[in-house]
Amino acid sequence: MTHEETKSTPGRMDKNHAAELAITLPPTKDGALARLVTLFASLGPNRKKLIHYVFDAGEPNYQEIVLPSDGPIRSISLRVPAAAWYERELHDQYGVEVAGHPDLRPLVFHENWPDGVYPMVDAVEGVPWSNRVYYFLEVQGEGVAEVAVGPVHAGIIEPGHFRFSVVGDTVLNLELRHFYTHKGTEKLFEGSSLTEGTMIAESVSGDNCFAHAVAYSQAVENACSTGVPPRASAIRLIGLELERLVSHISDVGGLCTDVGFSVAAAYAMRVKESLLQASAQCCGTRYWRTITVPGGLRANLDSGKLLDLSREVADAAREFSNLAHLILTTPSIQSRFETAGVLRSDVARDLAVVGPVARSSGIDLDVRRDHPYGYYDSVQFEVPVTHYGDVMARAKIRIEEAAISARLIQELARALPAGDVLLPIHSQGEVQGTSAVESPRGELYYWLEALDGRLTRCHIKSPSFQNWPAIPFAVVGNVIADFPLINKSFNLSYSGCDR
Amino acid sequence: MIFDVIERSLRQPNCLIPVEALLGNCDGSRMPDVLSERLTLAIGQRVAEACPTGAFSIEEREGRPCLRLSYGECIACGRCVDVGEGAVVTAKQFTRCGLMKEELVRRWDLDGHAEITPVPSNPDVVRGQIHSLFGKALNIRELDAGSCNGCEAEISALTNPYYDLERFGIHFVASPKHADMLLVTGPVTRNMVGAVRATYEAVPAPRLVVAVGACGCSGGIFAGSHAVVGAVDAVIPVDGYVPGCPPTPAMLVTGILEVLRRRVAK
Repeated sequence: MTHEETKSTPGRMDKNHAAELAITLPPTKDGALARLVTLFASLGPNRKKLIHYVFDAGEPNYQEIVLPSDGPIRSISLRVPAAAWYERELHDQYGVEVAGHPDLRPLVFHENWPDGVYPMVDAVEGVPWSNRVYYFLEVQGEGVAEVAVGPVHAGIIEPGHFRFSVVGDTVLNLELRHFYTHKGTEKLFEGSSLTEGTMIAESVSGDNCFAHAVAYSQAVENACSTGVPPRASAIRLIGLELERLVSHISDVGGLCTDVGFSVAAAYAMRVKESLLQASAQCCGTRYWRTITVPGGLRANLDSGKLLDLSREVADAAREFSNLAHLILTTPSIQSRFETAGVLRSDVARDLAVVGPVARSSGIDLDVRRDHPYGYYDSVQFEVPVTHYGDVMARAKIRIEEAAISARLIQELARALPAGDVLLPIHSQGEVQGTSAVESPRGELYYWLEALDGRLTRCHIKSPSFQNWPAIPFAVVGNVIADFPLINKSFNLSYSGCDR
Repeated sequence: MIFDVIERSLRQPNCLIPVEALLGNCDGSRMPDVLSERLTLAIGQRVAEACPTGAFSIEEREGRPCLRLSYGECIACGRCVDVGEGAVVTAKQFTRCGLMKEELVRRWDLDGHAEITPVPSNPDVVRGQIHSLFGKALNIRELDAGSCNGCEAEISALTNPYYDLERFGIHFVASPKHADMLLVTGPVTRNMVGAVRATYEAVPAPRLVVAVGACGCSGGIFAGSHAVVGAVDAVIPVDGYVPGCPPTPAMLVTGILEVLRRRVAK
């Protein structure tokens, strides 16, 4: 049962196969369809719309297909379900007509946005307020009740709306409605200078700000064909792994909160805070904001302070691993985590899910290993994968990854290359660049275009945007009371998704 | 197993930070401060030019050039420190939390090398009042109006064993109907305006609203976006502002305390 199969919607287009432009989906070596990485539009010469499809066919380089389009394009969502939200976003932001899409309801803009205004193409000053209609999927039948949750949730969480259809406690269907935190971020990049763009990238998803800043910086470096000094590269790796460590510790603590195990949760939060304070001591910022810029780092970090940080990391990792072992062997925790929120491997593959969520559902995928960037070529690490796909699997994957991140930080802090940390960036004429980073939530992909040092387009494929559509599949069939737990085990960013 | 966790936790040393050490602490916030004796017109102009959000600007007051710094707009990017030649530094103490918007603005006379704004209340004076303020219960409802979740991460940290807001009788509650104070983060997005108003209306009067972070205070880096309405005060009345990008837990404690202090003083 998917949303897509159930009913036609007002936005649906007439089928007119002849006039539509379409791409040929690239295969992998073993004949399967390549994994969709992202799908977005940009404006080419004469403001002609260009549709970019990015695939991962199992090669070190991503494969990009560009489709120039003035008219409608053929939807690929029925063959590549992972494209469904991207095509809806194209329709909302660029007014691209996507023929054959099963569900073209507005995604990014809510009732307040008028029909026919496409911010990435049109002028956006003084857009009038509207009151258009939005239809939720209705599940009908005896005993079916609807539960509407959000956008404002109970707790210190970001806003988003969940519409459950339940029979008793069991969830029959869950429909997501997000983009409450949509801030027009991709549009804000337009016109900003290449260094200023870092600040916008840092504000896409605050808890993963360093991964975003590095991904953005790498995309600029790629566009300008500039290298990064080895020391800067190595320090970036430390920051990225620290961010993963902090995020995974916080997630495991959050899972404990959601099953009412507050002592363990407080313990995990204490370990997390010790790392944030160590970061503040090491580089003056708790979440590694403002550290990186295109070309390297804004300022050199002291090797001694990085060693101090790595000692804190060693302590934190040891404490966390002991704690995690105790948590996972507690029978009442096992009974809540095991078999809850199973994301099947075939569903995960269809939706091109990324990150720890994919690796918990049997998909062996890690940008650090598959598309190495920065200093990852020079370090050795394993990529844990399991196939159970439940909350327990996602907890275990994070615990294993946290240990690996901690080891990488300690190894590198002891063997940091010396030297400068910043190379100048020169950008003349029109340039394009891409970059991918394995953020704590999974594959983060930046695509940007600049003219004479000013950005003309920056697209962000955020792992949360990719993974959100998988949540309903993991929730259906569970009791509604397990939803917070399942949701936490995915740990998706609303702001990262909504941008 | 469950007891092992509790036992292990009890064996840990106490990490609670005393409230005196939190007031005015801004470690890790990267907020700027200006050393007026080193300030020159040229530095002021360079700093204003480097600032991406216009937090630093040059203005004319009574025919004299002066440097204006509005902390509400500052995203703590540190560009001013880079070009400030030692006249702009990363702050070691920061007490402008929980104040009204105009109190977040500082001005320096660029000819006279002196600050021409009043110095904020000394945390030492406040210290004696802490107990009477925190002796009563305060229920806070956190409301994300569209933030990047950086502020959420820091607000969640307030309940960890280092800051432990519960020790003062301050609780985060699930429903706005149980709340005395709304802690609002983020620029208010177009898609959140309705929910922000409804949440505000659901809080019983008398209610306090604190705008948190550069985005909550001024829209921050998102000011002017087509998908954003503006700062929190563009939608609901605000009683105090906590700047920062994101404000650290210590700044949040300082800010919440200051809003309460002013409320009690009224």
